[in-house]
Amino acid sequence: MNQKKALSRRKFLGNAAAIGALGALGVGAVVSSCSRRPTYVGPTFPDQAPDGQRLRAGVIGCGGRGTGAAINFINSGPNLEIAALGDVFEHRLDRCREQLKERVGVEVPDANCFTGFDAYQRVIDSDVDYIILCEPPYFRPRSFEAAIQARKHVFLEKPVAVDPVGLRQVMAAGRMAESAGLYVAAGTQRRHQRDYVKTFEMVKNGAIGDLVSANCYWNQSKLWHVNRQEGWTDMEAMIRDWVNWTWLSGDHIVEQHVHNIDVVNWFFEKHPVKALGFGGRHRRPTGDQYDFFSVDFVFDDNRHMHSMCRQIDGCTNNVSELIFGTEGYTNAQNRIWDYNGNVIWEYEYPLGDDGEPMNSVAISPYDQTHINLVTAIRTGNYLNETQNVAESNMCAIMGRVSAYTGREVTWDEMMNSAMRLGPENLEMGPVDIPAVPPTPGTAPA
Amino acid sequence: MIKRESFRRGRRFIILVPVVLTTLFLFLGDRIVRYTSTNEFCNACHVHPHAEESWKKSTHYDNKSGIYVQCAECHLPPPGDINYLLAKAKHGSKDVYGWIFKDPESINWEAKRTVEKAVDFVYDESCTKCHQNLFPMQLSQDGQQAHLYYNQNQDDLSCLNCHLHVGHYSEIAQKGIEFGTADDTDREVFTEPAVVETFGDFTEQIPGTPIAFDMVAIPGGTFTMGSPPDEPYRNDDEGPQVEVQISPFLMGRIEVSWEEFIAFYESTAAEGRQDNIYATNLGEVDAITGPTPPWGLPDQGWGMGSRPAITMTWHAAETYTKWLSAMTGKSYRLPTEAEWEYAARGGTTGPYFFEGDPRKFSSDRFLNRIFGPDTAVINSYVIYSENSQSRTQPPGTVWPNPFGLENMLGNVYEFCSDWYAPDAYSQYQAGQVVVDPTGPGSGTERVIRGGSFTSDAGDVRVAARSHTRHQAWQMTDPQIPKSEWWFTDTREVGFRVVMDWDPDN
Repeated sequence: MNQKKALSRRKFLGNAAAIGALGALGVGAVVSSCSRRPTYVGPTFPDQAPDGQRLRAGVIGCGGRGTGAAINFINSGPNLEIAALGDVFEHRLDRCREQLKERVGVEVPDANCFTGFDAYQRVIDSDVDYIILCEPPYFRPRSFEAAIQARKHVFLEKPVAVDPVGLRQVMAAGRMAESAGLYVAAGTQRRHQRDYVKTFEMVKNGAIGDLVSANCYWNQSKLWHVNRQEGWTDMEAMIRDWVNWTWLSGDHIVEQHVHNIDVVNWFFEKHPVKALGFGGRHRRPTGDQYDFFSVDFVFDDNRHMHSMCRQIDGCTNNVSELIFGTEGYTNAQNRIWDYNGNVIWEYEYPLGDDGEPMNSVAISPYDQTHINLVTAIRTGNYLNETQNVAESNMCAIMGRVSAYTGREVTWDEMMNSAMRLGPENLEMGPVDIPAVPPTPGTAPA
Repeated sequence: MIKRESFRRGRRFIILVPVVLTTLFLFLGDRIVRYTSTNEFCNACHVHPHAEESWKKSTHYDNKSGIYVQCAECHLPPPGDINYLLAKAKHGSKDVYGWIFKDPESINWEAKRTVEKAVDFVYDESCTKCHQNLFPMQLSQDGQQAHLYYNQNQDDLSCLNCHLHVGHYSEIAQKGIEFGTADDTDREVFTEPAVVETFGDFTEQIPGTPIAFDMVAIPGGTFTMGSPPDEPYRNDDEGPQVEVQISPFLMGRIEVSWEEFIAFYESTAAEGRQDNIYATNLGEVDAITGPTPPWGLPDQGWGMGSRPAITMTWHAAETYTKWLSAMTGKSYRLPTEAEWEYAARGGTTGPYFFEGDPRKFSSDRFLNRIFGPDTAVINSYVIYSENSQSRTQPPGTVWPNPFGLENMLGNVYEFCSDWYAPDAYSQYQAGQVVVDPTGPGSGTERVIRGGSFTSDAGDVRVAARSHTRHQAWQMTDPQIPKSEWWFTDTREVGFRVVMDWDPDN
C-alpha cells in the first residue's frame, strides 16, 4: 500500500517535470538540426493577452510607476481588473485613484484602498490574483515574499532589493514561486521590447561573432528630490525623497542602471563575478547617495563590461548599451555595425500613418511586459524572471559596494554578505541614518 | 533435400539459441537487479543490528504522509542513472566480501554514520530524485538561505552535510537543544581563584562556578624544534630544525574540557545568533562577549563533562583565555607553537615522547594494512585512529607524557597562537638559538598541533604540524555571515591553555 503510494507520487513528480520541460521549450528556443550553427528563434510577443479567467490585480506602491504599471496592466488585454490599492501615503493613493479614473476609467472602492506600512499585506489579503509591486525598492523583498506565500502572480518592478540580504530573500521567493507554479515578470522591460529581442536573436545567431566586451551607460540629468517640510518625521521625509537615500533606492546604479547591466547579462548569458568601481557626489541636494559611478565588471572568463551612470545636470547624457563581438558590434537595441563603420543590420520598425517607419516598437515594452505575463498565466506557458533580475540587481549592488568602499568586490562575497540597509523599525518617526555619503577607503563593506 | 532441410533447421536453431539466451539473460538480469534491490534482500545480509530499526524510526519511514523509502532508493543512484549498475556492482561485491570475511562486531558502525563516510554510499541524485522541490512554501528562512547556498556550491556540498540523520534515526541528533546548561546543583561553587605564589603545579578554580582544573609547571629550557629530514612521515614544513629557548610557563594538564568551556559559554554567551563582531574586535567592551548558540550539537552527542571541548573557532578559544584571565586575575593564553612542541616533547627528541617507530605504528603502509599495524606501545599513550572508536575520549584513558601532560598527541588537535606558514622555521636565522618565538607576523590560518582521534600514527608525531581550514570547516554553516564562534564541519579541533609565569610577580 505504502509502496504504491510512493510510486504514484513519483509518477506525479515525473509528470510535473515533463510539463515543466515542455513549458521551457515553448518559451522560444527552437533548435534546427540542419544548419551548422543551430538557429535560435526568439519569442514572438502577442499584441494583446488572450481572453481568459478574470484577473484581479492589487497595486502596492501607488506612485508614478505603480500608477503607470496599473494602466499597463489594464491595457494588456480583456477581463482585467484593478481591485485593490496600497501605499504608505494617503496623498499618493488619492492621486493614483484620480489618474486611474481619468485615464482608464477604473474606480477602486474605498474598502479596497489601504495606507500605512501594512498596506502591502492588506492588498495581498484582499482577494486578488496578481500583485503589482512598485514600492521603493527597500520594501520589495518582504512584499514579494508575502505575495508568493499568499500564492499570487507578481509583476516585480526593478530593482528588487537594495542589499544582499533582501536580494537573497527575493531569490528564494522566486524559487518558491517556481515550485508553486506562480508567474513572475520583472520590470526590466527591455527583455519585453521587440527591437531588443530581435537584436538578441541576431547576436545569438552569430551576427557579431563571439562576444568580446560591453559598455553600458545611464547618464542623465539630475533626477528629482523633495525638500523636507515642517512637521514631517525623518521617515516621512526620507520616503518622500526616496531616490536620494541608499537604504530606500539602492542608489541610482541599482535603481536605474540595473536596466543596462541587465541587458549585458542577458546578451552574455551570464553575470559578472567581480567589480571594481568608483563614484562620488558633487551636486545632489538631499540624501546620502552618490551622483556618479564608473565600474569595471569582470565575468568569470575575464571578459569585461564597463558601466557608467550619472545624475548631474549640464553634462553629456547617454542611456544605452554597446556590445562588441569578434566580427562587429551592436547597440543591443536595433542596429549592428561591422568594424568598418557600416551598418550591417537594422531593426525594421513598423510604419506610421505617414508611411514612414516609426521610431518605436509597435507595443510599448511596459505594456508588453504585462501582456506577456497575462498571456503566460492564461496559456500556462510558464514565465518567471526573478532569477534574471535578481542577478543583475546583485551586480549593481556589487558595483555600488565597490565604489563606496573603494575595494574590489566579488559575487561570492555578495552572496554571503550580511549587509542589510535601513532602520530597525518601520514607523513614522526618527531614523538614525545621516545624510552623509560614504568615503571610499574607509567605509565598512 | 532432407539434408538441406535439417541444415536449415539447424541454422535456425543456431540463430535462435543466442536470441533466446539473450532474452532470457536480459529478462533474468532485470529480475535479478530488481530482486537484489529489495529491502528483504538487503536486510537478509545486512547484519548491523540497528540499520532496519533506525530506518523505521526515521522520517523516511515514519512520517505523516505514509510514504516510505526503500534501502536502495538512497543507497544506490536512481535506476536509469548512468552509474546505477556500476554502483550496484561496487556495493554488492563489497557487501559479499564483508559478509564472508568480516565479523560484524569488528566493524565500526558509528563511524559509518559520519558525513565523511556516508557520502560514499548515499547518493545526492537519489535525494533530489524525490526531493525535487528545494523551495517549498513551508521552508524556513534558514532553509531558504541554506538551499540557495547549496545551489551555488553544489560541487562542494552534499545533501548529507545538513541532513545526515534523516534516513536512519539518531537519538543523538534529536537532542542538542539543551547545549550549554550544566547541571551544577550539588557542587561546591568557588568564590575565589587559586592563589599561586611559587612556580609549581596547582589547581585553578574558576570563581562563581564549581569548575577546577590542573595546571602543570613547565620548567624553562632549550630544545630542538622540528624533525630531522630522515624521520618517517615527515613533512617539509617540519624543518629545518631550530634551536629554541623557552621561558618557564604553566600548561593545562588536559585539553580544555566541555565543563570548563560551558562555564565560559554560560557566563558570556551572546544573545541570539547575531555576533557582536565589531565590539569585540575593537576591544570596546568591558565584559567579554562570548559564543553565540551553536548549530546542532558541538559535542556530537559523545558526552561533555571532562571530554575535550571541540568545534570552537580559534577566535572562540582565544576569547576563552581572555575570559579565564579576567575571572582568575592571571595571564592565560593559547600556547605558542614552540611552547606546545617543547611541552609535548617533555625532554625527548624522537618522533614521539615514547619509544617507537612511526613505520611500525602507521596503518598507512601496505604490509601493515595486511598484517595490521603494531599498536602495543602507542595505544597506551595516544588516542588516534586505531583506538579512538571514531570519537574523542575523556582524560585518563592513556598515559601522560614526561611533564605529566595528557593527550598532547592525539584526541584533538590543539590551537596554537601562531599563524601557520609552511616555511615558518626557515624564517629563523640558522645556527642561532631563538628565544620564545611567536611565529609569522601575519597569515590566514592558525597552527594546530598534535593530531586527533582520526589521525594516523604518522600524523600524531610530536613534530607534525597542521593548520585550521576556515572555509572548509564552515562549509555548511547556514548563517550569513558564518559564525565566528563555531565550526560546523570539523570535529577534530580543541585547545589547551597556558599561563605566563612572571618570576618577579
